[in-house]
Amino acid sequence: MEEQEKDATSGWQGPTGRRTDEWSECLTLIAANEDRAAFTRLFRHFAPLVKAFALSGSSLSATHADELVQEVMLKVWQKARGFDPEKAAASTWVYTIARNCRTDMFRRLQKFDTPLAADDFTPDQEPSEPFAMLQSRRSRDKIHALMGTLPPDQAQILAKVYMEGKSHAEAAAELDLPLGTVKSRVRLAIQKLQIQIDR
Amino acid sequence: MAKFHPSLDLLTEYVAGILPLAQSACVSAHLNYCPQCQQQTARLQDLGAVLFDSMTPVPVGDAMLDAVLARLDEEPPLSYRRVDDLSLGRTPALLQRLMRGDFSELTWKKVTSSLRISYLKTGDPSYEFALYHIKAGGKIPEHNHRGSEMTLVLQGGFSDAAGSYHEGDFIYREASDIHAPTALQSEDCICLAVLDGPLKFTGWKYRWMNPFLQLQAG
Repeated sequence: MEEQEKDATSGWQGPTGRRTDEWSECLTLIAANEDRAAFTRLFRHFAPLVKAFALSGSSLSATHADELVQEVMLKVWQKARGFDPEKAAASTWVYTIARNCRTDMFRRLQKFDTPLAADDFTPDQEPSEPFAMLQSRRSRDKIHALMGTLPPDQAQILAKVYMEGKSHAEAAAELDLPLGTVKSRVRLAIQKLQIQIDR
Repeated sequence: MAKFHPSLDLLTEYVAGILPLAQSACVSAHLNYCPQCQQQTARLQDLGAVLFDSMTPVPVGDAMLDAVLARLDEEPPLSYRRVDDLSLGRTPALLQRLMRGDFSELTWKKVTSSLRISYLKTGDPSYEFALYHIKAGGKIPEHNHRGSEMTLVLQGGFSDAAGSYHEGDFIYREASDIHAPTALQSEDCICLAVLDGPLKFTGWKYRWMNPFLQLQAG
């Protein structure tokens, strides 16, 4: 638990569910005054993560990875006013932009002729339950804390699916495992991280 | 409230952004009807963010920072008005965009006396993305699939041997599951169906149609 307290990206203060971490502040400053200094701080933190994300699984060339980093960071600037610190953590928000930009880039590279962009796939209404942010905050802390308890083979598959963007079938082919094994490892990991919801 | 949901596997692939475009659109449309699945995807997204945060950063040079800073003036932050009045259960905006109008304005192709199909263009080269209109009480002849089938009920409902489905319900079937859905008596049923292989009628009466049921992907 102590380790999380020190983590700059999870600095949560106060019982109201408001986040006051550094990256949320940067986004708020950009939204309010087009603050370039705040953007520069965000860039120095997130651009290297986006680049790691772009390069993982080596599905994109170095040139496309750089293109993706620029595209994501520009979107962060452009969309800053859509960021709501009550609803999302800054890094979840940036991750979502990075994921959508990468999906769009894959589709562009495959020459899809589609009227839809990845942003369009967001449901019309985001979860509006009270304390959504607080729940997300808690689940992130919990996931963070439990991540270390995952067996390496489960952690490896999560990284393949989420960061490398491999489908379960692609991950199975790459690791030379039956599809069922891959699926059950993902499911087991999600159970261990305690994020499964009764539906 | 929806009773039938996408599996955790499908939701994980959806959140990770790796589900094929047409299937992703169908899952996304289900979320409009289903607060539980929205919550589940929110948690799966938290997981993505934690994994993203804990990646080993790859250095990015100042040249790129300068290049981006130089472009900020051309791309000022956009202003948004918050949309609060969207209620659960309406035809999802994503589908409205693909339909460019109302159900009644679409071109419906007659397949049998109670089944009409309208194909929508998503741009996904591997999947057919179509709306099925089944007359109240009407039956789709018994069939299986040469691929997988995702179905989302948009209006009314239908039943088959495995259950009874209503607005917002999501059903996923593998190839070779045989079924013969029948629309509920009360009203016409409209479903979204996403297929990667054409329907294949199994009864003798309709088998002659199979060669005409080419997959309309794209």
